Order: sequence, then structure tokens, then C-alpha cells
Amino acid sequence: MKQQSMIDVKNVTAAYGALTALNGVSLNVQKGEIFGLLGPNGAGKTTLLASVEGLHKPKQGDVHVGGISVQADPVATKRQLGIQLQKTALLDDLTVAELVEVYAALYEVYLTSKEIDSLLARFDLVEKRNTLARRLSGGQQQRLALAVAIANDPQIVLLDEPTSALDPHARRAVWDIVRQLHDEGRTIVLTTHAMEEAEALCGRIAIIDRGQIVACDTPSALIANLKLNSMLKATVELPLDQVRALPEVSAARYTGQYLEVESARPEVTLTALHELAARSGRSVRDVALRQPNLEDVFLKLTGRALVESN
Amino acid sequence: MKRFLILTKAMTLMHLRNGYVLFWNFAFPVLLMVIYGAIMSQFMDYMTPGVIVLNALSFGLVSSSTMMLEMREKGVLRRLQATPLPAVQLIGSYLLVNIVIGVLQSALIIVAGVLLYKVNVTAMGLLIAYPMILFGLLAFMALGGIISGVSAKSGSATAIGMTIYFLLMFISDMIFPLDMLPNWLQNVVPYLPAYPVAQLVRSAMLEATLDPKWMTHILLLLAYGIGATFIAAKLFRWEPKT
Ligand SMILES: Nc1ncnc2c1ncn2[C@@H]1O[C@H](COP(=O)(O)OP(=O)(O)OP(=O)(O)O)[C@@H](O)[C@H]1O
Ligand SMILES: [Mg+2]
Repeated sequence: MKQQSMIDVKNVTAAYGALTALNGVSLNVQKGEIFGLLGPNGAGKTTLLASVEGLHKPKQGDVHVGGISVQADPVATKRQLGIQLQKTALLDDLTVAELVEVYAALYEVYLTSKEIDSLLARFDLVEKRNTLARRLSGGQQQRLALAVAIANDPQIVLLDEPTSALDPHARRAVWDIVRQLHDEGRTIVLTTHAMEEAEALCGRIAIIDRGQIVACDTPSALIANLKLNSMLKATVELPLDQVRALPEVSAARYTGQYLEVESARPEVTLTALHELAARSGRSVRDVALRQPNLEDVFLKLTGRALVESN
Repeated sequence: MKRFLILTKAMTLMHLRNGYVLFWNFAFPVLLMVIYGAIMSQFMDYMTPGVIVLNALSFGLVSSSTMMLEMREKGVLRRLQATPLPAVQLIGSYLLVNIVIGVLQSALIIVAGVLLYKVNVTAMGLLIAYPMILFGLLAFMALGGIISGVSAKSGSATAIGMTIYFLLMFISDMIFPLDMLPNWLQNVVPYLPAYPVAQLVRSAMLEATLDPKWMTHILLLLAYGIGATFIAAKLFRWEPKT
């Protein structure tokens, strides 16, 4: 497939007063990608989307959408986008069906009531078509926001934390919708701080931290490139410096009550761990081995955990 | 054009479905008539034009901005800003709905006056009065737009609007006659926005004629309307101040 750049962000710096929210960010999203922005609270994800959406004017740098400069022709760039903002705020004195009709019309797309129903069906909202938006539950409102985002049949869809208020079941349903949108040939950019979401959905991920992109690649390449070792997980209380001194161990830490040990050869490390524990009269329980994931990548790149351990 | 119509329909529905907006827009003007009627039922011929102007004033300065401020605060305007809808269309559609509401309010007041207090109205009087009411509404709403623009929150907009409303109400020859005011104030009041509307609407409704100074009054209102619209447009914000 011929590569076609849909979103091109070049060296963007954005600020709110004295606070720098984005610092020299560049990225390029190709046609047909599901592109993830992964980062902790306050990293600058929403600000980055806002500068693509034409809602935030960067202090420096250029943003192009479909080859058109956002600054030079914001109406033309907005026309190509379907948008879901992090804070869902629609015209909530309208019914679900009215809302979809109005938002499509704002793009000069005029839907028949049949088209509105088939759109609502995708989001399991048909029964709610005549319900006022403000009477929907939080999860339903979030699904409505997604329906509204694609009401204008956009080629590019920007979703800011599309699953943050959803239960696990609804979250999977949204993942399915995102995959469908992708299968229809649309380009999707989404933000998340859930690494399993980024891993499950995104072809490429930019890891963003404190206003900078610290890495950008496919999930597997991000993990492979850092040559992270397997993670050994177990319940046992031992001094970390002693654990770190065990053979083949490259890092060790506690997350909650779990000891996590990064090891090039987990079987060797595990034997040594058992011995160490036995010497102080303790036992190693709940042993599990897991492959390194994006969480580990983030930790490695930034020295901090993506989500505060809970 | 179709976009504008669909948007305007949506704006209308929103105004009709919001209980708070509905009360202040439609129940309050009638209530105002009942209150004034209870105090001075025999002067209602004279009072009704004043109630129309006072109502237009509070509507223009305060109530007509309520929904817009609510949308700004909730982030709805920001969501709209992300669409290709031009700001002029959004504001135009909003103003259109509110001008219609303002005109309906004056009609409600007149109907209440006729039904409750047998207020005398003539076709000629109404024909002259309505353009005058419209001039007033437009000037007051534009001033309300400035208030929305300078206020960080909708609460402060209401406070500023109500303060100006009460000041103008007492000094604009509607509650107290002008010659009760100190001399210096008597000289200032004719140049404030409420007084000319009161003069124009009153002579239209009571005598079915134009006020002798109609030209000055209308020019003044146009100046207020156009000037305030210009400033309000400059001050328009998609987001609340943080
Ligand atoms: N309107 C604003 N005014 C001032 N500062 C802001 C504003 N919006 C965001 N910021 C600041 O900019 C930085 C980046 O915020 P942004 O919303 O882009 O982060 P985010 O990655 O989307 O975070 P989250 O995951 O919490 O949504 C933060 O430090 C935030 O406090
Ligand atoms: Mg955000």
C-alpha cells in the first residue's frame, strides 16, 4: 500500500501561559493506521490532539492534516476529522438521534433517520434514540460521543480516552468498533493510559511523557528494541539489594505486594531466589513468569510507572 | 443554509426543553405583569410599555445569554469549535432564536395586560411599537454579549447584568419620573440605553405616534447596538476563563 501521511506534526511546542505542555513534538500518522498516544496524566496527549483539531494554537511548529496546514485552513482540516474530546460535552438538551443529526449537519452531512438508526445500532443506542442526552448513563454518553464522532463519516478519527469511563465489557465493545473503523480504511488516533489497550489496538504507539515523545514504534518493536528481559513475579519479602545481587538479574522492584524481577534467564534466577528465601526462613509463593510489556518499556524509558501502582 | 436551519431548530429545542430558561423567558414576564398589576392596577395602560421595556432589558442583559454561557461552561462550545461550523453561524442562529423569544415575551406581556387589566392597545400603536421594541432588544442583547465576554463565569455575568439592570430600571423614567432625579443625572440618563427605548415604546403604545425625539433615540440605539455588537464579537470566547 502506498504510504500517505494523514497527520503530520512537526516540532510542535505548546504552552498554557508559563507551563510548557508540549516540547518539540513530531510525529506522522499514515493512512489506515491505528495510532496510540500512551502516557500518564498531564503528559500532553490532549494538548497534542487539540493542536491537530485546531483547538489549541501551538507556540511553535507545524501541523498538517491530510496535507493541509491546520493554521492556514482550519475549516478544511476540521472537515476531515471525526472528534471525541476527553470531556464529553454535547448539546445535552437534545435527544440522542437529534444530536447525531445536528453534529453531522455541522459538517454539512445530512443523515436520513434510517442512517441515524444504523449508526446508533453500532453503538447499541437505538433504544435510546429519543432519550435526552443528559439522561444517559456515563458509559452511554461516552458511546454517544463516539457515534457523534463518526456521524460525519470522517477519514480520520481522533479519540481522546475513548474507554476511560467504561466497564470491561463496554470497553471491549469500543475496541471492536475501533477495529471496525480501521477495517473501513479510516485512520485512527487514540489516547490512553492503559497499556493493554494500546497493545490490543494500536499498530503504532508514541509514548509521551512530560510533553515529549520518548519513543514511537510498533508495540512489539518497542519491547524488543529495549531488549527487556522476562519478568519473574512472586510473593516474597526480601531485601531488594539482595535480590538484585542474584544471578542474571537486571532489575528488581516491588509493585504492591509482588516482587518483580527482571531476568535474562528466569529459571536460574528462580532457583537462586528460592535458596535466598530459604536461608531467611521464608518461602516464595505465587510464582509467575511474564513477557515484558509496554508498562516495562515506559518504566525503562522514563524511570517512572505509567499508572501509579494501586 | 440547511446547516443553519438544523442548528437553529436544535437551538430552539434546547431553549424549550430547559426548565430554567423556560421560566425566565416565558413565566417571568407574565409574573412581572401580575406583580405590577397588583400594586397599581388602575395605571396599567401607562405601566405596560414600561414592563415591556424592563423585561426586554433584563432579557437582553441577562437571560438571553444564559444558554450560551451554560454551553461555554460545560465545554459544548469547545466541542462545536472543533467542527467546521463558522462562529458567525453559531452566534447568528443563537441570536435569531433569542430575538424571537424576546419578541414573544413582549407579546405575552401585552396579552396579559389586555386580558388581566383591559389595557388599551391599538393596531397602529403596536405597528409603531414593535420596531421600537426590536431596536431596544438588539441593543440590550448586544450589551449582554459584552457582559458575557468580560465575565469569567455565568454567575458573575448574571451579577453584573442584574446590577446594570436595576440601575437603569430606577433612573430611566420607568419607575420614577425623570424630574425626581438629581439634575446632573437627568442630563446623563437620556444617553443611556434604556431611556430612549422607554420613550419610543411608550409614545407608540399610548398615543400611537413616534416620540418627538425619535430620530435621536433611534440613532443612539443604533450606536449602542452596533458598537456593542462589535465589542461583544471581539470578546467572544469558546471557553470559560481559567
Ligand atoms: N486549559 C489549560 N490551562 C492550563 N494548563 C493546562 C490546560 N490544559 C492542560 N494544561 C496543562 O498542560 C499539561 C498537559 O495537559 P494535557 O491535558 O494535554 O495532558 P494529558 O496527557 O491529556 O493528561 P490526561 O491523561 O490527564 O488527560 C498538564 O500539565 C496540564 O496541567
Ligand atoms: Mg487528556
